[in-house]
Amino acid sequence: MGTFLGWSIKRPSNLTKLILFVCASVALMVADSHNDQGTHMMRDAVLRASYPLQELAALPFSAGHDAFKGLRTNARLRRDNARLEALNRRLAVKASQLGALRAELAHMAALLHGSPVPGYRASLARILDVSSGPFSQRLTLDEGARDHVFVGQAVIDGHGVIGQVVSVSPDTSQVMLITDPDSGIPVVSERNGLRAIAFGMGSQDRLKIPYLTVTADIRPGDILASSGLGGVYPPGYPVARVTEVTSNPNLAFLKIRAVPLARLGYHTHVLLLWPRKGPNNRKTGHG
Amino acid sequence: MDNPLSLKQRALILASFVAAMILAIVPLPEAIRLLRPDWTALVLVYWCMALPERIGVGSGWVLGLFLDVLYGSLLGEQALAKALLAYLTLRFTLRLRMFPRWQQSLAVGTLVALSDLMLIMIKSLVRGHPPLWSDTAPMIANVILWPFLFGVLREVRRRAKIS
Repeated sequence: MGTFLGWSIKRPSNLTKLILFVCASVALMVADSHNDQGTHMMRDAVLRASYPLQELAALPFSAGHDAFKGLRTNARLRRDNARLEALNRRLAVKASQLGALRAELAHMAALLHGSPVPGYRASLARILDVSSGPFSQRLTLDEGARDHVFVGQAVIDGHGVIGQVVSVSPDTSQVMLITDPDSGIPVVSERNGLRAIAFGMGSQDRLKIPYLTVTADIRPGDILASSGLGGVYPPGYPVARVTEVTSNPNLAFLKIRAVPLARLGYHTHVLLLWPRKGPNNRKTGHG
Repeated sequence: MDNPLSLKQRALILASFVAAMILAIVPLPEAIRLLRPDWTALVLVYWCMALPERIGVGSGWVLGLFLDVLYGSLLGEQALAKALLAYLTLRFTLRLRMFPRWQQSLAVGTLVALSDLMLIMIKSLVRGHPPLWSDTAPMIANVILWPFLFGVLREVRRRAKIS
């Protein structure tokens, strides 16, 4: 007679038992490593039996941890409170500035609705998306057909012409920038009234002005304004500044580069222009 | 020697194993986790030495099974190691009892290390865990702890008149 944890059972010699249990262990391991259902059940059963043990093992530590966490939380809350109060004060200052800015913006918007460009009514539109690449320079605006945006409408900002609306959906519209390779805008030199057409080149800071002969009076620094020819763009609004004029004797025309005056890469809002109905409008639109 | 144990005495032995298991799974900081001695192995060795007729290979195996589940290791891995440890202890129990304390702790440490070696082998075989030098840290901790644990458990055994 022998015992097993104190309970009497009949038992063979130690070595036999060892061999037996080793075999059992190996069998268990093999079964377990093959994700056997039986070993899972066995593991679950033993785990359930030993659950109080684990709880007991975790108890002093979880209690200590909780107490410590309480202390830490308290300290952190105080620190957070101080920090947030300072932040709040700073933000309050900023908020008051924001109020002033908002008032200013409202004022400017009111001014805009008055008349930025003679004969046109203007309205701010937010830029939703920008696609800028060598083959397409476009903006998407948050105003569409429901806001009376129409194809061919001129879009400007505070510095110059941005482009024209090329497609309209109910709530958004696509604007082709003057730098789009498909875009051409009739311009006139402010210095001497020389007419030309500025084409986009697919880059946000360059325009080209082809088809001017070597005799044309154009110099770097000349400001080109829209001429209003074609009827799309409002006349007299700045478009570009000439940066480079090169004359190649082998070519019939000058090579002229200009930089758009509108800040194409900067703002989040642009102005949409609606021509006013009236005698004033007819007079300026030549096309 | 073969007088049956009272329920209280059995409960005490069981409690010592349970305490060892709790100590084995108590969460420790990373820095001293490596130095955690193999409590269950030492307690098992003690009871095998003290009551070789009652605590043996079977008890070791069951203990190992519990450890497997608690550690989440491969089922049977610790069971095998603990059964082997129990067997080795029973095999050398008479000699172990004769040794002076420090020699005894070295011998016990060696036995536990042997069973640990078994574990390491199984791990590297089955799961591809390579043996690490850090595996030897608990072995050293075992040797250091043994004399104290032996003293405590012997005191407990004598008070409870378990023999």
